[in-house]
Amino acid sequence: MRRAVAPLLAVTVALVLADSAVVTLALPDILRHLDATVTQVAWVLIAFNLVLGLTVVPAAVVFGRTQPRIISAAGIAAFAGASAWCAVAQSIEVLIAARCLQALGGALALIGCLELLVAVYGERRGVATWVTAGVVGTAVGPFAGGLLTEAFSWQAIFVVQVPFAVLAVPAALAVAAEPEIAPDRHRPAIRPNLTLALLSAALTAALFLLVLLLVEGWRQSPGIAALTVSVVPLAALAARPLARYLQPPPEVEVAAGCFLIAGGLAGLALLPSADLIWTVAPQALVGLGLGLTVDRLTAQAMEMRLPRVRHAGWTISARHLGVVVGLAILTPVFTADLQDAQVPAQEAIASLVLDAQLLPEDKIAIAQALGDELSQQQGQVPDLTHAFETAALEPEERPAAARLERDLDAQLERAATRAFRDSFLIGAGLALLALLTVVWPRRRTTP
Amino acid sequence: MTALRRLAGLPIVAVVLVSGVLGVQVANGGGSFEPLQPADPCVERTVTSRADGIDGLTERLVLLGIDGAACQLGVSREALTLELAQPGTRTDAEIEALHQGLLAAVQRMKDDGTLPPASDLVDDALDDADLNGLLEAAIRALPDSVVNAALKTDDILTRAIDDLDLRALLANLGDQDDLNQQIEAAVTQAVKDSLAARLRDLL
Repeated sequence: MRRAVAPLLAVTVALVLADSAVVTLALPDILRHLDATVTQVAWVLIAFNLVLGLTVVPAAVVFGRTQPRIISAAGIAAFAGASAWCAVAQSIEVLIAARCLQALGGALALIGCLELLVAVYGERRGVATWVTAGVVGTAVGPFAGGLLTEAFSWQAIFVVQVPFAVLAVPAALAVAAEPEIAPDRHRPAIRPNLTLALLSAALTAALFLLVLLLVEGWRQSPGIAALTVSVVPLAALAARPLARYLQPPPEVEVAAGCFLIAGGLAGLALLPSADLIWTVAPQALVGLGLGLTVDRLTAQAMEMRLPRVRHAGWTISARHLGVVVGLAILTPVFTADLQDAQVPAQEAIASLVLDAQLLPEDKIAIAQALGDELSQQQGQVPDLTHAFETAALEPEERPAAARLERDLDAQLERAATRAFRDSFLIGAGLALLALLTVVWPRRRTTP
Repeated sequence: MTALRRLAGLPIVAVVLVSGVLGVQVANGGGSFEPLQPADPCVERTVTSRADGIDGLTERLVLLGIDGAACQLGVSREALTLELAQPGTRTDAEIEALHQGLLAAVQRMKDDGTLPPASDLVDDALDDADLNGLLEAAIRALPDSVVNAALKTDDILTRAIDDLDLRALLANLGDQDDLNQQIEAAVTQAVKDSLAARLRDLL
């Protein structure tokens, strides 16, 4: 058991931070299964990040006065219980409430695991393990969530978390750690935390918007979308060897990372087609940037600052409130852009149907079926398959109809891709703002 | 490891990577991956139809007519088509523009020689017309050259368009059978009227 303690605690950290974005690929399924609106479904993400961002610092304050293992175990148990509650939620309101409780438990678990990992591994290795587990969780979350949704269901995302968290409870109780008696000596590190918040907002664009584009805009399955976004964590792994080879100063490393994330997001805004291959290079830039920045900034924000848990809390708070800010900025932009994209998409569809090489009565039959389908699928990128399946066509007309269907799907992909462009560019702007906070000259302190 | 390499190495790598990715994407059409833009309805376009007879002629007329109407109304033909597909009352301007557009389409097809000879329409019209069997047999016995000399396609179509109740037609767009029936009835009636008028003149 003793050997498994630290890995279980690290997995718990990864799980809590993965939960920030783990449901992204499951959102369309949740929307359908719980009969929710797009705004309600967005709150499944927002609620978790908001509660975690707001409670983690107060949790760290309380934590500093109690037995770490007790609070950690309680937090992990609450996280496990709330995850199970999420899995059985039968309404969107219950799911959002369960996500809030999950975040509350997660806040205590994160802070607790830091202290317990330091107790097990020592200061340097313990903090490094905690930071790395967090970065891995953040990067892998959407990928894992998509695979689980594809293989099983959205509920599976929460179910698989329960046994790991349940095992982590006795693991936490097994660590003998004393409360960190350290005076409140240092102020929060504003600059790295601000950079972290802005980067988190930008990364929201990369992870949240890209999976939405893949699943809703390009009609990819959650599994394919998950495999596609796995480029981000894979590229993040390449960041450390690159940094070790070039050995840049920390500020240069973070600045280059911010620039890479901005470039990657600009690349996602300028996709030349709806082919998945075009998303790989921009995602690789984002992943590389993620790997160069998040752990380095987290370490900078905590380095030589006491009490440790409180400064760890500030970094978690900055990251998750950054995600909330990102969602708050980007959600209205892309939903409005999707709405605005309907007219050009409908006009493109009308144009292709009018000029289709079909018999007039077949054109009218398809136009009517498309009209019915489009009016039933208001507010989302429509799936035209049903319209073509239900249109009464002669067998010899089917090949021409299939060509038309392909052309219409291509137009919808174009419209959806265009609708996400501004949001990706805003994400790139947020990453450049983060870069600005890094390169902005520091105020000279007089001796 | 030189200080310069430590300081500039990673930024140079980042700039090269970002420039390379964005450059390749823009060179391959990144930034212009957008839905099809509606064409200018005032610019003449070639329209075709896979159907024969009255069906094919009607389709080409409607496609050209919508172009003309959209040009007159200052909107794209796609926007006008979508607007007309919505349930609701049509404005007088829309009805008038559509009427004028269809008439202009007849004229354009006449000018570019794509109107079929009247004899093609007569056969179709006789199939649908409720005529005395003897009279129908007599008309069918007429050589095409005689029919084409007696009847002009543009006259028949102009008469059919004038007789069409466009407001009622647009109100029934949801019913395909009714739509076909109304158009064919108007064309058939126009052919019959033209035939009758020509026969009266001959007698």
